[in-house]
Amino acid sequence: MKKGWLIGAASAAATLVPVIIRDGYIIQLLNIAILNAIVVLGLNFATGWTGQINFGQAAFYGLGAYTTAIAGQAGLPWITTPLLSVVVVGAASLMLGLPTMRLRTYYLAMTTIGFGEIIRLIIVHWEPVTGGTSGLRAIPGVSLFGYGPQGQLQHYYLLAATLALAVLVAARIRYSVLGRAMIATKDSEIAAEQSGVDTARTKLVAFMIGAIYAGLAGCLYASSIRFISPDSFSGTQAILLMTMLIVGGMGSIAGCVVGAVALTLLPEALRFLGQWYLVFYGVGVIAVIVLAPGGLASLASLRPRRAGVS
Amino acid sequence: MSPEPIIAARGVTRRFGGLVALDGIDLDVPRGVVQAIIGPNGSGKTTLLNALSGASHADAGSIRIGGNEILRLKPHRIARLGLARTFQTIRIFENLSVIENVKVAAACHIPVSLLDIVSSNARQRRCEADIDLISREALQMVGLIHRANDRAAQLPYAQQRLLEIARALAAKPNVLLLDEPAAGMNMTESMALLDTIARLKTSGITIVLVEHNVRLVMGISDRVTVLDFGRKIAEGSPSEVQRNPLVIEAYLGRRHRHA
Repeated sequence: MKKGWLIGAASAAATLVPVIIRDGYIIQLLNIAILNAIVVLGLNFATGWTGQINFGQAAFYGLGAYTTAIAGQAGLPWITTPLLSVVVVGAASLMLGLPTMRLRTYYLAMTTIGFGEIIRLIIVHWEPVTGGTSGLRAIPGVSLFGYGPQGQLQHYYLLAATLALAVLVAARIRYSVLGRAMIATKDSEIAAEQSGVDTARTKLVAFMIGAIYAGLAGCLYASSIRFISPDSFSGTQAILLMTMLIVGGMGSIAGCVVGAVALTLLPEALRFLGQWYLVFYGVGVIAVIVLAPGGLASLASLRPRRAGVS
Repeated sequence: MSPEPIIAARGVTRRFGGLVALDGIDLDVPRGVVQAIIGPNGSGKTTLLNALSGASHADAGSIRIGGNEILRLKPHRIARLGLARTFQTIRIFENLSVIENVKVAAACHIPVSLLDIVSSNARQRRCEADIDLISREALQMVGLIHRANDRAAQLPYAQQRLLEIARALAAKPNVLLLDEPAAGMNMTESMALLDTIARLKTSGITIVLVEHNVRLVMGISDRVTVLDFGRKIAEGSPSEVQRNPLVIEAYLGRRHRHA
């Protein structure tokens, strides 16, 4: 019951907000917040549920965006770009995941940091294709049989609908054999194995699904923002995505969305503070982590959190 | 007693550095019995259980379960061959509800694809319904059905132990390994646990029970194996084992040998 209300209220707010705000700049910011939310939802599969620390998520985001931009500029129809992004990101995450999923915590974190840096270096130095540090401009927009969203508002609704779909898929996975196996793997790998869960496969699948979320978000980023540069997919971005997950609430679908939106909008909201904004931002993040270790999502219910509900 | 034992272990050896934790153990467990493995602290009981379940592989020997060699198989493969276990130190899935803990294992023999899950199709819904049914039966069996929707971490200690048993049962095992299931339970809880084990036995499951508390296991065990310093020092019915001088020595020390 409670969940139904929450979804209804969130949908209503998401529909009305841009109509009320009408400020192109803020809507653009919301679009980026939504894209970040999709990427963080993806990160939640591997990190929030399966307990694998993954700093490679920004690189998968970038791979999707650059695949889309390069394919689009080469003249391929838009409809092929999400598929190409999934193929490229799927292959990259499989190659990274197969040998590394046996690694635990810090080692996996190190490996994914290294992977992110490799992707960034390729993007920066393969100038003829990627445009180097100056990035790629005038990327073809979303278009299906000649129809596509026009202006930021229409893009907003397209992205919001995609986020809704991403949430639905994440929720279905959470309440399935696979989602339970992921959380079981995080809570006790050995008990999960002895219950018949192939934990190595579960970790790989979680990692790959998460990468594909990032790849698809990257595809939409390139074709709705229409300008990309290596900065958007750097190691700093990877840490920011992890911070969004932690502040929002690890393992909570609603938390992923709240964390991504809050941390995307907050720097702009604090802009009037000038150089001091980073201090407030930092203090805010620390305050959430200290006062609500379960993330912003855990504040929503004052009752003790029931399993899986969030 | 059926001719072919469900567990047939030969020369199982496990070394940790210079320490020989298991020194060429042979173990035959006939189908449908309650087999206790007892021994003083550090005698190798849990190490043997870990070798049988694949949690920590033996270095040498042979372990056949239901005719399949499992010495180097991954634990989830062994689980799917029909061996389930519980742990001496509780290992429940704290971020799942009570029934979801059980569902993890109930899915053991039910294949679902990612496509089924994402599309939430008829096959996926049927699998979830099956898993739910199996899980409820398992919770009913240990008397935890009333707590199905609680967070597993909220259960009191003794109930967490029962939850582990329910989870193991949901995998529909032929063999159930219980590693000190009564540890940390009071007398009433231990007695209720013995009742549960007795009921499980009537359903045909073979039970291997590792216990530190000898008195507890004597009443329900058909056969007892005694380990000491990684070797099997005695085996037989509870009364045979209790009279065995080697066993008395292992438990009480040499001075009490003639006491």
